[in-house]
Amino acid sequence: MTIVPIGAVTAAPKIAPASAATGASGGGDFASALAGGLDKLQQMQTNSDNMAVKAATGSLTDVHDYMIASTEASLATQLTVAVRNKAVEAFNDIMRMQA
Amino acid sequence: MPIFDSIGIAGSGATTYRKWLDAVSDNIANMNDAVSTSSAAFRARYVIAQPANDGHGVQVGGIALGSANGRVVYDPQNPLADAQGNVRMPDIDLGDQMGQLMMAQRGYQANLSVVDRAKDAYQAALQLGRNA
Repeated sequence: MTIVPIGAVTAAPKIAPASAATGASGGGDFASALAGGLDKLQQMQTNSDNMAVKAATGSLTDVHDYMIASTEASLATQLTVAVRNKAVEAFNDIMRMQA
Repeated sequence: MPIFDSIGIAGSGATTYRKWLDAVSDNIANMNDAVSTSSAAFRARYVIAQPANDGHGVQVGGIALGSANGRVVYDPQNPLADAQGNVRMPDIDLGDQMGQLMMAQRGYQANLSVVDRAKDAYQAALQLGRNA
């Protein structure tokens, strides 16, 4: 009996950069920085996923490499969430402004 | 790894110490390989550590090999012994290897501690302004 190998975990589809924000003057910098950060985060999570597959299939040479990759992915996610929360908070502050 | 430099650097250190552990285990495993005096003895493995090419961390530049002469030991009972009753053994000292084993193990743990502390530091930075 042959054991079917476990397929790689596919990463979530890439989030498109907010094109509407680039229309506003001075808004392009933040939007592109955010999109770049998301790309980097996705890259780290893909790396971590690949390491997990390697660990499961027994082809992982360094155990600590997987733990470091998952730690980095977790930190990058926390950073992204913190940035997002701050951005939403700022947006809400502006929306609450009264004339 | 541009954002989390210290974690990547400590990871390269952990990989280097892991290779040192591999080299020590190879030396200890082959410590008692007896060969006839006409052939070369097992050569001890030594890891050559050097700064990484990209300037971040450490890497293994190669493996240096010990002496092939080894020690000539009088052991007439050994089927490999020559006419004088001698065999050739590797020149590996177990005490020296155990010392290297401890250094490699502690170095590995030290690098993993750096990863842990760096993670804590980054998480503390993310808490900045959380309660403002």
